[in-house]
Amino acid sequence: MTNGEHNEIGSQDAEMNDQKRSDLSVTDDFTGKIRSFLQKTLADRKLRKVLRIVIVSLGTLMSVFLIFLFLFYLVPVIQEIPSGAGAKMTINSSLQEDQKYKKQVSLLQKDVQRLSRKFSSYTSGLSYIVINTTDNRFFLYRNKKLIREGFCSSGSYTMLKTEGEQKWIFKTPKGKYRIQGKITSPVWRRPDWAFVEEGLPIPSANHPSRWEYGVLGDYALSIGDGYLIHGTLYKRFLGMPVTHGCVRLNDEDLEAIYHTLSVGSKVYIF
Amino acid sequence: MENEVKKADSGRRTTLMVVISIIIAFLVYYAVMSMMGPAKTMAGLKSRYGVQPAEENPVDEGVFNDSIYVSTMKQKAFLQARIAMAETDSVSLSLNLSDSTAILEINGVMVHTAKIREIQMSRILRSGDVNLITSMLATPGHIVRDFATIKKEPLMIKMAPKDTSEFKPDIIPDTSDYEPVGYILEMERGLRIFVYQAEQDTAPDRRQLRMFDLKDRMRNTWSSMKKVTVFKVPEYRPYIKLRLPRADAKIIYRAIPRKGQVAVYI
Repeated sequence: MTNGEHNEIGSQDAEMNDQKRSDLSVTDDFTGKIRSFLQKTLADRKLRKVLRIVIVSLGTLMSVFLIFLFLFYLVPVIQEIPSGAGAKMTINSSLQEDQKYKKQVSLLQKDVQRLSRKFSSYTSGLSYIVINTTDNRFFLYRNKKLIREGFCSSGSYTMLKTEGEQKWIFKTPKGKYRIQGKITSPVWRRPDWAFVEEGLPIPSANHPSRWEYGVLGDYALSIGDGYLIHGTLYKRFLGMPVTHGCVRLNDEDLEAIYHTLSVGSKVYIF
Repeated sequence: MENEVKKADSGRRTTLMVVISIIIAFLVYYAVMSMMGPAKTMAGLKSRYGVQPAEENPVDEGVFNDSIYVSTMKQKAFLQARIAMAETDSVSLSLNLSDSTAILEINGVMVHTAKIREIQMSRILRSGDVNLITSMLATPGHIVRDFATIKKEPLMIKMAPKDTSEFKPDIIPDTSDYEPVGYILEMERGLRIFVYQAEQDTAPDRRQLRMFDLKDRMRNTWSSMKKVTVFKVPEYRPYIKLRLPRADAKIIYRAIPRKGQVAVYI
């Protein structure tokens, strides 16, 4: 190593030492400032009071938070801590060779088979339709297989109120229904609410203004209580809850359903 | 003067210590009483659903730990419950936690099936007395109360126009799906079923569901507190927490009636 190299290393060390010294002095300055601030604060009675209030308030808030955390979250977790050995499932070969056990299991398995058969019998091999009123979709089944699905429109969940005490709720009923009648070229007999809804006076029961042609499509299937599965002029609303309780379908789906379902076929609405 | 201040300070400190000690003692007492809850619930279930061995034909207790026997017994119980629900015409819910499916049924016909993405359940249901739990689940549970972030029937009120000049034809309804879905079904035998949407992509959704959960915790803690203050063990209700796709969770909640029935296969 030459003298020049020695000098260069020496100057680098000196620079590093200077840097360290300046860093230390900055830290000293900072702690000094904090110390002096604390001394001033503690010396000043008003500031001391404020500081105490802040600390006590923060402490109280923290304690309340911890109490709530304990009550709402920790106690339910503690309740779930296992208290002892739980039941362990085993395959006991000596037990499985026992005649009594075999008999018992075979009886149970027979029960399961019988109950499975009974449960399966609830699903008809005949045609039926399922209507989902939340998603406004229908599913048509035949021989327990899905043969067609698509969009429909169901009840709008609107309550129509008059200034008097009259009110109507437009919703599609849920549950199991049956097709009670099949109609071609149905004519709509407008009920009272259809007039009330448009601000028209309610006409007499057989007034000509009650009959409206061509608005229900080519077919209609009645499910009882005045509810129908029918066509619509408002095809852009299919897939939305817009009806007064009936189920609307597009022309192709309606035709397929009309020809697939017969009087007595089941309709499941959920 | 200085002595008086010192006395007042020490008096305040003593009061504070007493208050803190009382609070801590109450919290410990509450925790201990709450820990006794599951055992009390289990005892209640035992007296209600426990099997009394027949004197003439005693059952080997070992069968209740045998996996083949237990799984067959569970299948039977689940089928029994579903058949009982099928006897009615209304919509019912079958939860098959073994294959992670939630099934809506009407009169025994499966009308909608949803995949459960996540399942959590109480220790009692997970590793309690299998025979007891199976007996309890052999009949469908009836919903007695529910809490939800969404409405069961989103009813809109519309005032009828006085005459034709006030009539406005219907505009396209707002069907945008913005509410996060979470609900709790409380069954008459104490079981609680929590259903939350699996999707938690947005912060408002997460916040709303967390608030919903917090409200439920507050309700439970309040009712437990009331019991504990009269020296009674608070009620412990076993739970099943499920996460389903949002659309399915909503369909299920809207479909089942307020006092609907639920069958569970664990």
